[in-house]
Amino acid sequence: MKEKKTKSNYISIGESRKIIRYNIKQMRYYEALKKKNRSPEEYTSVMHDENNLVELDNLKTCFFTDTGTVMSVNGVSFNIPKNKIVGVVGESGCGKSVTSLSIMQLVQAPQGQVIDGEIRFNSDNLGRTEDGKKLAYNIVKMPTKEMYKIRGKDITMIFQEPMTSLNPVFTIGFQLDEVTLLHEPGATKESAKEYSIELLKKVGISMPEHVYKSYPHELSGGMRQRVMIAMAIAGHPKLLIADEPTTALDVTIQAQILELLKQLQKTENCSIMLITHDLGVIAEMADEVIVMYAGRVIEHGTAEDIFFNPMHPYTIGLQKSKPLLSSDASKPLYSIPGQVPNPINLPDCCYFKNRCNKRLCKCSGAYPPMIKVSDTHYVSCYLYDEQKTDEVKDEEAK
Amino acid sequence: MFKYIVKRIIISVIILIGVSFIVYSLVRMMPMNYVQIKYAPLIANGSVKQEDVDRFMALYGLDKGIVEGYFNWLGGVIQGDLGNSLKYGDPVGKVITDNMWISFAIALVATILQFLIAIPLGITSATHQYSVRDYTVTVFTMIGLSFPTFFFAAIVIRVFSVQLGWLPDAGLVDTSVDYAMNFSGQMAKLGDMAIHLIMPIGVSVILSIGGLMRYTRTNTLEVLNADYIRTARAKGLSEHTVIYKHAFRNTLIPLATLMAGILPGLFGGMMITEEVFAIEGIGRLAYKALVEGDIPFVMGYNMFLAILTIIGTLLSDIMYAIVDPRVKLTK
Repeated sequence: MKEKKTKSNYISIGESRKIIRYNIKQMRYYEALKKKNRSPEEYTSVMHDENNLVELDNLKTCFFTDTGTVMSVNGVSFNIPKNKIVGVVGESGCGKSVTSLSIMQLVQAPQGQVIDGEIRFNSDNLGRTEDGKKLAYNIVKMPTKEMYKIRGKDITMIFQEPMTSLNPVFTIGFQLDEVTLLHEPGATKESAKEYSIELLKKVGISMPEHVYKSYPHELSGGMRQRVMIAMAIAGHPKLLIADEPTTALDVTIQAQILELLKQLQKTENCSIMLITHDLGVIAEMADEVIVMYAGRVIEHGTAEDIFFNPMHPYTIGLQKSKPLLSSDASKPLYSIPGQVPNPINLPDCCYFKNRCNKRLCKCSGAYPPMIKVSDTHYVSCYLYDEQKTDEVKDEEAK
Repeated sequence: MFKYIVKRIIISVIILIGVSFIVYSLVRMMPMNYVQIKYAPLIANGSVKQEDVDRFMALYGLDKGIVEGYFNWLGGVIQGDLGNSLKYGDPVGKVITDNMWISFAIALVATILQFLIAIPLGITSATHQYSVRDYTVTVFTMIGLSFPTFFFAAIVIRVFSVQLGWLPDAGLVDTSVDYAMNFSGQMAKLGDMAIHLIMPIGVSVILSIGGLMRYTRTNTLEVLNADYIRTARAKGLSEHTVIYKHAFRNTLIPLATLMAGILPGLFGGMMITEEVFAIEGIGRLAYKALVEGDIPFVMGYNMFLAILTIIGTLLSDIMYAIVDPRVKLTK
């Protein structure tokens, strides 16, 4: 391990040059793919389950950095069902945000690129195949030009930093109207303004007319996040991605924003992908929970599964390191030992191996497959690998 | 806003007094003064005696000390008299206003061209970061940035005037042609001036693009990585709208600082370019006056530049308030 560390921290000029040359080649290749005019057949796919809104299948997103290729999302597969709140948890840098940005095709280009996998988006614009299966857009292969029609309309996003997520030189009204004018055919400036004020009311802003004319710096963080939410629901989205929507806000505002999101999910009939590292928020909000670690899904189940019956040692560790009102304040809070592994050149074995307190001999072998515990609960850990027959089909294992 | 401007103007007066004193001291500290330079050969062959020189020194006010001389000059300025240029014989104000406009015309065209070329170049090079286009633009503008003016001008003159013979090498008009004083004659003269100005303007544009282009590129890159650009993309706006509407307004904010430098650049003339292409603009006059120790003119010219710089800074601050709604000018 020690040798490996020195290797990744110090690169010789030759190696560095090689990496840069490789990166440029790769970035050009993937950038060209995005600009290519593909025929619609090339970026349509078939939904595996019609009740899902989005299906992620073996998604791989990487960043070409000067020290090597970082696999931020390394074969992530999960589904977002219709009208459900799916929570994604994990520590910083585990690939939660990159997964969501991949769904939006907003990964920081040209360094960040989706290199493999499928993101199937269940759109009503497409019909069915001859054998009755629902057609879906494959966002990974979609050219950027086509993506413009989905972004902001069918899939919208709320970001972590309300303070910097609004353009400082335009008024709130201008930025809200823009969405309506863009996605609503036949919208005029007046109708857009009316709709924007209605949206501001909907997200609980008093004096919407005043806020409409304000600049972002004149509003507080909570107000700005409400504006961001208004912007996100303007196009009547099917999926709303909330990337740590409350991290930058103070606690009372956090609760209000979460309550608002929950209420909007019901009134707008959309699914929400809620990304957070706050387990309390997840418990409060989510129907389903995805636990991610080092770019992979390690455990996945309903909120009850994850909170009452956590299986993966990492999930168990997370639960233990959460402060409770009943916990003894004199004792230090539990923390998972060790650090997240360096994301460059990860070995093909469980990434949590070195921090795990229940390690088996098997753990040094291939990366553990997704193991089905119950109909809703899956975990990627050898501890539960007794019934070979119940193993789910999993590409990662290959 | 009004209060702010008044306050700034009052501060400016203090700055100007400081600047004028420093400039005056520096000019007086030069090893030779106007009289010594002018009469040096006559003194050497004995046709002018030392008493005459001393008389001239007293006449020009060069026999007094720096402080006394400065206050004499300042007294004149307060009464609205910048003094007579020793070299050109006319009042300083008149010399400046008479020769300023040709420099202004050159600088205006050059500045407009510079902005029109450098800003789009900077933006494309930022949006296509690390591409062939980015590297090409960077290399060429860097070449422009690193050339000294006189050297590049000399190359251009050699190629386009001497070898190819396409363009005239110096001056403002063709002296061998007599232009009639009627409309068509004056238009022909104007056309001739335009041809004469191609090279000076071209040289100054090519040499100044680099800095502005790099500036725009860096700013655009920074803005393009901002969160609100990601928000704009997440709305479904096309890349073109994102860059030219959402990013561009923000890129302009730091560019407003450049306003401060533009104003003196417009009126102050370009010493080296004008000298190399033998154009009688204010820059060239100032250069000659400086060489010959023409104190009133050098003082007048430098005060002119100082005032323009101060107005430029004030304008750039006001521009900030216009382009960035977060900036409020108070107090």
